[in-house]
Amino acid sequence: MKGQIDKITDSEVLFEQEFKINGGDFINAGESSSKLKNILKEIGINTDIIRRLAIAAYEAEVNVVTYARHGIMRILIYPEKILLTIEDEGPGIGDIDQAMQPGYSTATEEIREMGFGAGMGLPNMKKNADIFNISSIVDKGTKLEITMNLNDKNA
Amino acid sequence: MPEGKLLHSVRVNKDKCIGCGKCMRACPTKAIRVRPQKASINYERCIDCGECLRGCPNDAIEPIITSSADINKFKYQVAIPSPVIYSQFGPQTMPNEILSALKEIGFDYVYDEALICEMQSMVIEEYLDKNKSPRPIISSTCPVVARLIQRLFPCLCELIIPIEPPREIAAKILRKEISEEQNIPEEEIGIIEITPCAAKMVSINQPETMEKSHLDGAIPIKDIYNKVMMILKKEKQTLMLQEQGPISGIGIGWAISGGEIRGLKYHQSASVSGVYDTIKILEEVESGKLKDIEYLECLSCPDGCIGGPLTVESRFIAKSNIIKLSRIYGNKKRVDSNRVKRLYKEDFFSFESEVKPKPFKPLDKDRSQAIKKMNLKQELFEKLPKRDCGICGAPDCATFAEDVAQGKAKLEDCIFIKK
Ligand SMILES: Nc1ncnc2c1ncn2[C@@H]1O[C@H](COP(=O)(O)OP(=O)(O)O)[C@@H](O)[C@H]1O
Ligand code: SF4
Ligand code: SF4
Ligand SMILES: [Mg+2]
Repeated sequence: MKGQIDKITDSEVLFEQEFKINGGDFINAGESSSKLKNILKEIGINTDIIRRLAIAAYEAEVNVVTYARHGIMRILIYPEKILLTIEDEGPGIGDIDQAMQPGYSTATEEIREMGFGAGMGLPNMKKNADIFNISSIVDKGTKLEITMNLNDKNA
Repeated sequence: MPEGKLLHSVRVNKDKCIGCGKCMRACPTKAIRVRPQKASINYERCIDCGECLRGCPNDAIEPIITSSADINKFKYQVAIPSPVIYSQFGPQTMPNEILSALKEIGFDYVYDEALICEMQSMVIEEYLDKNKSPRPIISSTCPVVARLIQRLFPCLCELIIPIEPPREIAAKILRKEISEEQNIPEEEIGIIEITPCAAKMVSINQPETMEKSHLDGAIPIKDIYNKVMMILKKEKQTLMLQEQGPISGIGIGWAISGGEIRGLKYHQSASVSGVYDTIKILEEVESGKLKDIEYLECLSCPDGCIGGPLTVESRFIAKSNIIKLSRIYGNKKRVDSNRVKRLYKEDFFSFESEVKPKPFKPLDKDRSQAIKKMNLKQELFEKLPKRDCGICGAPDCATFAEDVAQGKAKLEDCIFIKK
């Protein structure tokens, strides 16, 4: 199992799991973040952290479905933090500052009609994450890193 | 409240249980195991939805009912029938006949809860106008949904509308009115709801948002059904002539899914019924997916309270009866909106305290232990056939893996594992 191999190389990782996300699969958009959420609940992570991470994970997942070909969501739990990464192969984002603007969206009319594409995904991820990192290469893909601190006073 | 003290609404009759596991598969919170041979309920996970009761073909899951004898200790006895009752005696039986028949049974006073439901629609609208808190606001009517949110979706507790449901408001109003008008001390008045579900009994005995319920108990619709039917048959003519005060068409609609939001004119709202669909929609709320919906009605029973486990009539017929009655009684307002606004300002409808999160216990109190068990659970799960056959006594392979990781079952209990 992957988790155990990692335990040898990186003694700090307590838990690791990956979820595949398929571009264009709007029917199952949200499945991965939902599974992730249930794992965190069973582990007993503080409800406020779960709430914020669930929102960020869902938005990231929907973006992969909407814009990219496919992607991987990976959760890593350390003693002091949770690291969620979402990496995709897709068109990438040319102007990240612009994409981060609340309300900015390149979503098509069809996508808007499905209830996506309000331009609030990336801003919401940033708002809900303790640390938010985004990097992207045009025509290759996008990588997001969302960190949640576990040992704050109410975590 | 200490865990052991949690009151519950269902129990297994071990003499009748044949260990088929149908209840176990029906339970949305995986509270049931058939191990060894007979079903047993882990009450810590039970949310009183009644799915096990519906699922059992042998009547081995029994509702736990507040004894109706308790009502006899009160001098003045009041019944508040859920509007569901109007759907139970055929399309030709009118609400006032049913209310009259209830009086014949021996209640001193009978009050149409539907009127308060209509009032509630105004209160909800008022709340949505005045509060710009996060959306969607979720209905507080169904006690199973409230429990589900506390246990499975604890971070959504703050979305539950902090307004008591109609049954509580009705009892609160009546106790005061009757006491003043008839000069009876409040404590000598016994008010009970005639209910479609045992979950409401739990919420009366163990209220989450106040010190003590305004109601003194509840009687299942099932339990008074025969008595009411007898009276209706014998005295149809005289009952029809008795006037029982105004009947609210808007309120009657609350018995079926969508009834609560039908009265909301100015707000985007949605309704969901059935415990599995409720879980699905709450997942979506948790992901922040439903921000455009302002008000969300969730009822745990299929098609709403007419699908309650303690009703008699099939829910399809019951639904048709309610739709017919709603049409007959129309959308005419029976409730004085100025009075509602005044009471609203006085906080008359508000929760005394908010709904508190009570999440299910994690795999372990200690986080690193819990993570170890999660890793073990996933490793074990990989070894299992994923057929969810249930022969091991757990509802599915994932739950069985968890039981083994918790030391509550042995891997060899799975018939597919080579010994
Ligand atoms: N994974 C991604 N790959 C390519 N482009 C993306 C990705 N995520 C976001 N974008 C771009 O950034 C814009 C803003 O994203 P977001 O804030 O989630 O709003 P929305 O998805 O509603 O448009 C998107 O319209 C899209 O152009
Ligand atoms: S009432 Fe619902 S939650 Fe409780 S044991 Fe039965 S099916 Fe499970
Ligand atoms: S839907 Fe109605 S009848 Fe069913 S549990 Fe909820 S309140 Fe009771
Ligand atoms: Mg988006």
